[in-house]
Amino acid sequence: MTTDHDSAQPVVVRLDGVRKEYGEATALDGVSLEIRAGEAVAVMGPSGCGKSTLLNMVAGLDRPTAGTVRVAGEDLGSLNETGLALFRRRQVGMIFQFFNLIDDLPALDNVALSAQLTGTPARQARRRALELLDELGIADRRDAYPATLSGGERQRVAVARALMNRPALLLADEPTGALDSRAGEQVMDLLIDLNQIGQTLLIVTHDPRLATRCAGRLIEFADGRVARESALERTS
Amino acid sequence: MSAVWRAARAAVRRRRLQSVVIGLVVLCSTTTVLLALGLLDAVSAPFDQAFGRQHGAHVVATYDPAGVSAAGLAEAARRPGVQAAEGPFGQGSVKVVKGWPGFPAGTLKVVGRADPAGAAVDRPALLAGRWAAAPGELVLDQDYTGLVLRELLGTRIDAPGSPPLTVVGLATSMSRSADAWVVPEQIGALHPDAVQMLYRFAAAGTAPEVAAAVDGVTAGLPAGALVSAQSHLTLKEDYAGTARDYLPFMTLFGALGLAVSVLIVGNVVGGAVVSGFRHIGVLKALGFTPNQVVGVYLVMVSLPAVAGAALGTLAGGLLAEPVLDAAFQGVRRGTAVVGIAPWVSVACLLGMPALALLAALVPALRAHRLSAAQAISAGSAPRAGRGLAVQRRLGGSRLPRPVSLGLGHPFARPARTALTLAAVLLGVTTVTLTTGLTSTMVAYSGTQAAAGGPEVVVWVGRPAFGETAPRLGDRELESLVRSRPGVTRVTAHAVVDVRLAGFTQPDTVFFQRGDDDPGMAAQVVSGRWLAGPGEVVAAPQFLKQHGLAVGDRTSMELEGRRTPVTVVGELISGGGDRMWSAWPTLAALAPEAVPVNYQVQLAPGTDVQAFADAVRAAEPGLYPLPADTGNTATTTVVTFASVFTVLLTVVAALGVFHTVLLNTRERRRDLGMLKAVGMTPRQVTVMTVTSVAVPGTVAGLAGVPLGIAGHRLIVDHVGSVAFPESMKAVWHPAGLVLLVLAGVAIAALGALPPARSAARLTIAEVLHNE
Repeated sequence: MTTDHDSAQPVVVRLDGVRKEYGEATALDGVSLEIRAGEAVAVMGPSGCGKSTLLNMVAGLDRPTAGTVRVAGEDLGSLNETGLALFRRRQVGMIFQFFNLIDDLPALDNVALSAQLTGTPARQARRRALELLDELGIADRRDAYPATLSGGERQRVAVARALMNRPALLLADEPTGALDSRAGEQVMDLLIDLNQIGQTLLIVTHDPRLATRCAGRLIEFADGRVARESALERTS
Repeated sequence: MSAVWRAARAAVRRRRLQSVVIGLVVLCSTTTVLLALGLLDAVSAPFDQAFGRQHGAHVVATYDPAGVSAAGLAEAARRPGVQAAEGPFGQGSVKVVKGWPGFPAGTLKVVGRADPAGAAVDRPALLAGRWAAAPGELVLDQDYTGLVLRELLGTRIDAPGSPPLTVVGLATSMSRSADAWVVPEQIGALHPDAVQMLYRFAAAGTAPEVAAAVDGVTAGLPAGALVSAQSHLTLKEDYAGTARDYLPFMTLFGALGLAVSVLIVGNVVGGAVVSGFRHIGVLKALGFTPNQVVGVYLVMVSLPAVAGAALGTLAGGLLAEPVLDAAFQGVRRGTAVVGIAPWVSVACLLGMPALALLAALVPALRAHRLSAAQAISAGSAPRAGRGLAVQRRLGGSRLPRPVSLGLGHPFARPARTALTLAAVLLGVTTVTLTTGLTSTMVAYSGTQAAAGGPEVVVWVGRPAFGETAPRLGDRELESLVRSRPGVTRVTAHAVVDVRLAGFTQPDTVFFQRGDDDPGMAAQVVSGRWLAGPGEVVAAPQFLKQHGLAVGDRTSMELEGRRTPVTVVGELISGGGDRMWSAWPTLAALAPEAVPVNYQVQLAPGTDVQAFADAVRAAEPGLYPLPADTGNTATTTVVTFASVFTVLLTVVAALGVFHTVLLNTRERRRDLGMLKAVGMTPRQVTVMTVTSVAVPGTVAGLAGVPLGIAGHRLIVDHVGSVAFPESMKAVWHPAGLVLLVLAGVAIAALGALPPARSAARLTIAEVLHNE
């Protein structure tokens, strides 16, 4: 699969002049960018430069003050809260630095949850969840609660959950930030494998090694703006 | 300390809603407790205090001077068991032909007694003027309710057959030892027919103790020397007035209010600390010592608790005054001051915050022991395996996922669920119990109130009291009354003191003739109403005091005549002086007896005044007066019960609201996460409400039977009131379903605001806040 900015592929994410203000502070200042299907894009920059805000805009977790955000053909500005929820179910999967699993549910149900919310029957949802856990090597931990899993295991459960509905876009916010180096490596390998089978990725990170290993394009942010874009040569 | 204060203040600010709810719960609880303690205190303490201050007489005894000498009485007063005695005082009477405002015409019981200041027994409080110092001077006993009738000072009384007397003083005696006093030298001119002794006994707390003490003091005296013995217990009962009949309920509501308030404050405050475990862990991680952490939480809870207790004391004080005034309406109070005693306010002001602190201390001490990591973990993640089987089953069910998630939540967090359950259970049990008691009280007070049209008591004029004697005879009077338009029922009454076999003290019996009063028949809870001669019906307390039961036979004695009687019925309530019998029974004892009044029921809509005017015009010797229908008491009782029910319901609802609020706020991160993976705002709300609906329903279903059982337990053991089954069975299926639904609704309402707020929040904000 392609990892370059391949203009032949359809555009999955398009931001036009997106601004986001929190009171006096400007988190995003007229950001415009595109991400095409199958791309793996890393966003880097210093703390407070607007990386996570960008991710929230693309995931439909927050709304821009100005500008438009289109993901998988949908203008997120035109969707109400329910529409955004339905959009998130179908089009995006999210991986967070601190996993954000539901503490009250065992691993298998955490993964199956997003499919069940779409109305997928429980048995079918659990079967697919188990397949995903198996593919990620943690099927034996399916009945464990998040509190009893290691950091690496939790992040794998989070990845499985993000992939459950076969999203058009996988978003990752510092996915290795809370992991030790070995678990971090495993997650990186996982992301590379996913991109290689065609999964579009948008990764926000401070870690240059994660960016260079997993992404084909790097967008650098500064003061809420895109400071520089560059193609990356993947390292092993 | 400043770090603790700063952290506590910040915690209060951050948990504004929680602090407001704690404050409100403590406020309502304090109001309830203050009202309850105030009422319990008011029905006895003011009388006891005023009685104690006057060294009140446990017994005011009247002796026949022909049967006993002064030396004999003095010797008797030295018998064991007599703590102090005053007397003998000569006792006579003065017939006041014309009364004054506040003092009706009638016969005054006058006692010849020197200034009682410093007396060992019965020191009447001088309200105005001075004590009688010479013959021709009189001190009047005045019921004191704050208004002293000073204009009576200097009034001259010209009673027929008595020397002129001038009022020189107004006094009030809690022992009610006389209507007026003169100097001992004066009594000889006032037709003395008895001598009075005033006693204080070592043991006089109960009726048997008083009776035993009287027996002891009169043991060596000739039989029949003792004419009457007025017990202070009777005065105390009279003092309680309307409140006396409802004292058992007041006690119950008071105790219930206290218990429920304590439990709910404990639950609310304990829950607030448990939900703050994560915060406790963070504080410890920041370097707060365990003691400082406990300090933060105690200060955090005490700020709204102190504010709530202060406002609650104020509100309770304002609410208690009108309730107490209504309860003691028309009651002779003497110098007893009815109001909220200072100790009650102080106890509420100090006790309620102390209670809140104690409730906070228990979980705070647990947090004290936990390490920072354990505290953080206790506040966020459930232990592995909790409710796994249930979660798995629900996750695999056909239920919509938000519903199954909501149903599974209580199993994953059993401690939090237990708090919710306890709050709803307490709430539903309390509301069930109080509404049941209110229904019983309303039904009970309904039996005391007249049914149908207005009632009028037509009194027969008593010349001795300055009234006109009737021209017609008894039967003609009855016919006259009965013939007036609009009259539907006439019952003639005579009130006569008779002696029951085996008892030396006379008992007052109400003899009746004519139409049966259906209201009286409705008050019979055991046996039946009077159907013929030789039958009596009595109050439960009367039967208990005389060792009688329905079906027992005894005999009545009056002036040498004796007639056998059978107890055929027990009334629902009443003191030890209530016994009823039919006219033929009286005829056997006193053939010449005549009624003192005719109780008349008029058809609804009949003009009472027109009826009274017509009766007076036809016979000036009749005095019609509208009867007390018992409606004032009913209103008082219903108001009282309603105030308590509303207060307890508000406290219970706030307790549930607070617990659910905490649970939901705690889950904001989860809610944000669920939205992130595609849960719609409606699904978030459905899930949250479902998660509390389950414990709400379970607790509601358990609370209703608990409340019913509590109600049954209470009404079966009130003691002085024998409720019939109809007054105990106050439950209706629709009402019970409503009570269960109320529990669920309160829980769901408690969950709704935070759920909706979380559903509306942008996910980024929720996750950022966490």
